[in-house]
Amino acid sequence: MNPNDYRVWPGRMFFFALAFIVSAHSAWAQTANITGVVRSEGDMETIPGVSVLVKGTTRGTVTDLDGAFQVEAAPGEVLSFSYIGYTAKDLTVQSGQTSYEVVLESSMGDLTEVVVIGYGTQLKREVTGAVQSVDGSELMDLPVPQITQKLQGRLAGVQINQTTGQPGRGMSVRIRGQFSISGGSDPLYVVDGFPITGDISTINPDEIEDITVLKDAASTSLYGSRAANGVVLITTKRGKEGRTSVSLNMYTGFQQVPHYNRLEMMDAVEFAQFKKEYFEDAGMAVPEMFRNPSMYEGQTQDWYDALLQTAPISNYTLSVTSSTERMNTSVVATFFDQDGVVINSDYKRYSLRLNTDYKISDQINLGFNLAPSYIADNIPRSDGTRGQGILFNAIHTWPNMPIYDDNGELTYYNRFPGETGNIFAYPNWVRSAQEIINETKITNLLSNVFLEYRPHKNLMIKTTFNAELNARNFLTFNPSTATSGMNQAIPTVAASLRENATDFGWLNENLITYTKSFEDHNFELLGGYTNQYFRRDLTRVSANTYADDRLPTIQGAININRGATINDVQEWSLTSLLSRLNYNYKGKYLFTAAVRGDGSSRFGLENQWGIFPSVSAGWVMSDENFLNTSEKVSFMKIRGSYGVTGNNNIGNYTQYALVNNTVNHVFNNTVVPGAAVNSLANPFLGWETTNQFDVGLDLGLFDDRIQFVYDYFNKNTTNLLYNVQIPQESGFGSFNDNIGEIRFWGHEFAINTRNTDGKFKWTTNANISFNRNRVEALAEGIDRVYGSFHITQVGQPFGMFYGLVKEGNYMNEEDLANSPQVPGRSTVGSIKFKDVNGDGIITIGGDNDDRAIIGNPFPKFTYGIVNNFQYGKFDMSITGSGSYGNEVYMRHLFSTANLDGVFNMVRRAADRFRSPENPGEGIFGTTVGGGNVTGVERDWANSNFVWDASFFSIKNLTIGYNLGAFTKFVQSSRVYASIQNLYVFTNYWGGQNPEVSMQNNGQGDGGNLSQGVDLFGFPVPRTFTFGANINF
Amino acid sequence: MKKITITLISLIFVFSSCDDFLIITPETSLSSATFFQTESDFQQAVNAAYAPMRNIVNDRMWLLTEMRSDNTIYARNILFGATEQQEDLSDHALPEADGITTNVHVLNQYRLDYLIIARVNQILTTIDDVEFDQASKNNIKGQAHFLRAYAYYELVRYFRNAPLHLTPVTTREQAALPLSSEAELYAQVISDAQQAVQLLPNRSAQGIGRATSGAARMLLADVYMTQKRWAEAETLLKDIVNSGQYQLIPEYADVFSETSANKNNIESVFEVQYLEGPEGMHSTFLYNFMPRPISPAELRPITGTSNTQPLDGQGNNIPTPDIIEAYEQGDERLEASIAYVEIAGSLRENKEYPYIKKFAKHHSLHGNHGMNWPIYRYAEVLLFLAEALNEQGNSGEAATYLNMVRNRAGLANSTASSQDEMREAIFRERRVELAFENKRWFDLTRTDRYMQVISDFAERAKSDPMRYYYPAGATFRNHAFTNITKHYALPAAEAEITPHF
Repeated sequence: MNPNDYRVWPGRMFFFALAFIVSAHSAWAQTANITGVVRSEGDMETIPGVSVLVKGTTRGTVTDLDGAFQVEAAPGEVLSFSYIGYTAKDLTVQSGQTSYEVVLESSMGDLTEVVVIGYGTQLKREVTGAVQSVDGSELMDLPVPQITQKLQGRLAGVQINQTTGQPGRGMSVRIRGQFSISGGSDPLYVVDGFPITGDISTINPDEIEDITVLKDAASTSLYGSRAANGVVLITTKRGKEGRTSVSLNMYTGFQQVPHYNRLEMMDAVEFAQFKKEYFEDAGMAVPEMFRNPSMYEGQTQDWYDALLQTAPISNYTLSVTSSTERMNTSVVATFFDQDGVVINSDYKRYSLRLNTDYKISDQINLGFNLAPSYIADNIPRSDGTRGQGILFNAIHTWPNMPIYDDNGELTYYNRFPGETGNIFAYPNWVRSAQEIINETKITNLLSNVFLEYRPHKNLMIKTTFNAELNARNFLTFNPSTATSGMNQAIPTVAASLRENATDFGWLNENLITYTKSFEDHNFELLGGYTNQYFRRDLTRVSANTYADDRLPTIQGAININRGATINDVQEWSLTSLLSRLNYNYKGKYLFTAAVRGDGSSRFGLENQWGIFPSVSAGWVMSDENFLNTSEKVSFMKIRGSYGVTGNNNIGNYTQYALVNNTVNHVFNNTVVPGAAVNSLANPFLGWETTNQFDVGLDLGLFDDRIQFVYDYFNKNTTNLLYNVQIPQESGFGSFNDNIGEIRFWGHEFAINTRNTDGKFKWTTNANISFNRNRVEALAEGIDRVYGSFHITQVGQPFGMFYGLVKEGNYMNEEDLANSPQVPGRSTVGSIKFKDVNGDGIITIGGDNDDRAIIGNPFPKFTYGIVNNFQYGKFDMSITGSGSYGNEVYMRHLFSTANLDGVFNMVRRAADRFRSPENPGEGIFGTTVGGGNVTGVERDWANSNFVWDASFFSIKNLTIGYNLGAFTKFVQSSRVYASIQNLYVFTNYWGGQNPEVSMQNNGQGDGGNLSQGVDLFGFPVPRTFTFGANINF
Repeated sequence: MKKITITLISLIFVFSSCDDFLIITPETSLSSATFFQTESDFQQAVNAAYAPMRNIVNDRMWLLTEMRSDNTIYARNILFGATEQQEDLSDHALPEADGITTNVHVLNQYRLDYLIIARVNQILTTIDDVEFDQASKNNIKGQAHFLRAYAYYELVRYFRNAPLHLTPVTTREQAALPLSSEAELYAQVISDAQQAVQLLPNRSAQGIGRATSGAARMLLADVYMTQKRWAEAETLLKDIVNSGQYQLIPEYADVFSETSANKNNIESVFEVQYLEGPEGMHSTFLYNFMPRPISPAELRPITGTSNTQPLDGQGNNIPTPDIIEAYEQGDERLEASIAYVEIAGSLRENKEYPYIKKFAKHHSLHGNHGMNWPIYRYAEVLLFLAEALNEQGNSGEAATYLNMVRNRAGLANSTASSQDEMREAIFRERRVELAFENKRWFDLTRTDRYMQVISDFAERAKSDPMRYYYPAGATFRNHAFTNITKHYALPAAEAEITPHF
């Protein structure tokens, strides 16, 4: 290995500088030739490039490609071994022993490590922004297919929720509580330098070497107009110099929906009892079916459970890294196969990544990354509100409706006579899950080519071309025999919807880096010019009325539904100039300034360019004399940053007044084409701007046994991109504009500790984050924006639940007479609301609105804790994450607690108000009076729907055993068992997932304005797996 | 090495030289800057201005007019309570405060009228800048004026005061205007309708189904009738009668549109057009008018569809016993207008419900039919003419026109002789001839009879709720009929975002 290469990697350079200084004044003594090999703890792989120094001397060497070293040393002298990412180790040379095996311990928190930052890498100790890294190897054992699932609980200031258990979907990531009204909250994902436009869930987590989350503006501002939600940098595995290895990682297991915390619905006896009471209380004759509830003993049909299954899950990854003199290659091939816990759901991902670096000369490097993947899934329409999601439909299907008929065949649908109060026909949801096709196929190809040229030792020029190709092929087909809708008789009209979207995007980046050090001044200067382009071609065809359910083709349909058949093109482009200066003095006084200019096709012609600058500074106090003598404080750095970032997620063409040319009409049975302007232009439309200030402290105590990181941030997001509602007397509903201001602030704490060393090793990583925000302004004349059951109001936090405030039920005639009422609708036992505006009556909406803020879907704080244990060859890790103070809007109660007895009910509704003497537990009101009375409780947004959803979840428990090397092929091996989603501690009773957030159609989490709505979606399973890692 | 450096640097410049890289116009949409340039553009634009009429008539108008009157009612299914907004309209219990209501149907009606207006404004402010055939241009402008007159006429009758937009809104600041007075709105309606009369060709020269000079005259006459400008109305109505373009169809039952046949017939002056099928231009009003919950077996004989689905919820626009009684003995229109269906799922003892038959025509698929909706029929021209003549003291001539309508229905000539008798006879005749065609409520308001008629109706209904389709033991809500008003309050969702109301 050429020592000059250490220049390439600042970390090593630093190390050598240090080593040189330390050894400068030592002398030679009586020595022997000491040899040995250095291995890494755990996998026991040899480590090349380890610095070996004889303490107090200038003698030293580095280990060769096989981890071997040879050095002259005398007995009693101390050999010091050090390497990036490992804890340095000292070894005293024993007389008579000339050969040693040295095992180095990994030290993740080691402040000499290098972190990936935007457009480069930096020594962690010199970083002045708020960044956090996770090593890919830490995430290996977690049996989940999405990177974001694996990160739950591990990152301070990053709230990651799994809003639905649908395989491969449903993750919501929010860095530092960021959101905008219409611009989304997903961070920018950058894979090997390429800000991807596709879905992060298409990336195979086994390809990942390292993940870095950039949180403050100083770290993110180089990503300019897309950085306001934070940036996640993903580095994939590359071949390492000098090492060739083959490894096989696999796990297999099964998933189940645990029985604890399920939403408790009435069984058939309880439901019949409820119905009986319903008719009795109303003074009506009890229908025959419900006269004797006990006849249903043991007859309960559990429609929800009938949709669940124990489902297998497996993952196989084969990876090869190889290295020759000029070429490093890494290949990772993975097959992931999961069935969902809802019947007929499955998710498969085939992925391959080939990363190759080719050294043309000492000055020129060429690299290729190629990562194709293919995902095929079928997920029944499990999620969504009544009549859209089959799970919601199933939970409140009457428990005395038969799933199977007398012949053991699935029924088609159930409907009882009208006098039973059965006003809906219930299709058989098991049939719906089995027969409805709802499949997506995604082909994704990520590729990069880069050329690095180093014309001078201080200068590097790098050009990259990145391309992303993503084809998404979606088909949903509803045969005539099944439906996810309520109240549809079978046969129904067979219908299909296909959607094909092809995305193509490219990015060209041209970077130039100049590094210079003189005396103790170190400079790095970066300049860059980039262009990115994206295009999506989408075709959607909706067809219905099929002659044959077996052929859901377009040509097999009798009708094409023209209204829903479209094609569409979306394009955008982005041109950017960027520059950064890193400066430090003695590695102690640190300073960084960066700026990016973004020109975007999305913005109005009068406002097309944005400038995003940042500055940051740090001071490594532990290098100062007054601290570096302290035994207790091993490292201490304070840092601060300020910068500006943007958010351009407003969609394309919003600055144009578009003409919709499909506003057709008909005259005398002949369709005529029609066209109308359907949006207003805004030539001044611009990006959303976030100004962020951050101050942080990094502390290492007791030789870094305890590492502590604290950050405080305060940011103001202004010019919020919003489709402002305007009076529709204009003929338009909204106007795209930049309005308002939200302030966010918060505290983040992270601590890593090495609790015990020696044979029993125990480390803990924990974090806790407090995020707050307040809406400071909206548009002129607008002080509020509504979501589903939410309000975003000036002076209040974003997206609060909004509705009437429940005070109880009207307990008796006197209470009713003395309380404000809903005119014509309140009765004894019905829900009683607070008269917020004091006008004596209860009104929802309009000028006399009695609504108020009734809850908060966002947590007061979130936290995570990871414990790792090792005892001999055993290892164990436990990962937990939690959230406190977040509430959920239990929206499904509008159906599952519909007091008209239309649906099956939550068990708690048995204890409702029945009379002044028998008022129940106070949650549910009287059934008497029908929809006119009960409709108020059910249909008017109110605090009865809002429930605490604080939780602590044991996300994962893994126990492993290191089998070591065996036979001549296997160099190291390990087996493990893992349980994912072991247990959730929560008081939330509306379903099993307190992280839930869903919109009516089940196709997303509801957006920023409408978080935390529970419509009873796909359960998050508990997964048991067994796995093995084998290195050849 | 130098070569590579040069290549790299030149690459940078290749990319930096393109400012156009950032200008991307939509490939699959046109923008207002490039539209409104040709005759075809304006033809498309005026077609689009008709489109909201389909929604207005199918989903809103009968809720805000017919079910508001004593002709039809909301038939409660007490097991189902989620649709109280329709019930509020039917039983005059709209929540209202400070001239604002949260009722969503009122809101949607308001928005749909302004959608027509915005589209018309876009046409009328740009069309004269483009040169093309004058006859074609006049026709398009005439249709545009007709549609704007129609929309503002709806607004002024529903709300009395409303914003008056006559030019297209292009910025956020222009979106909200102050309320204009009833007089200002009527002046605009009359001006637009007069322009339409001038510009439009007559029925035989116009494309079938489009607004004609006859339709424009009828609209203007309607406005004059409301304003009691009888002589002016008479002139216009006589023009229509004398045009020879329209006549009564011999059988009343044959007057109404089938799902694809019998549209725009000789009796039709103006109707809203629908098309059965997957084009998305079908109507569904028949389904809205069914008593519920109704099973496929019960529904199939009415709709004739092959894939009949059940309908849940509550019944809308169900004929009242009052309208059924309003037909004279021997009136052929009763059987043509109303039929009965037995609903097993009903909680009532008497499971038989009347439904509107005049629009119930067989079609192929559930929830998708093509029947057009009559806005103006020649029979109404005759009844208006009778009324205009009678109000001017010419009861004798009025009888001629009244009797044309009566005789067609199988009834003898009216026995009314005095002006008052004749006024009542015409009023009654309008009720049955035009039953369920959304005329009754505006007849009640323009004659200022709404308070009396609805109060009497309320008394009858509340004293015998079972007759008004309540199951035994159930009755009207206790605030039913407490808010009988001539006009609707303005919609709350709009009030929240306009500074003007």
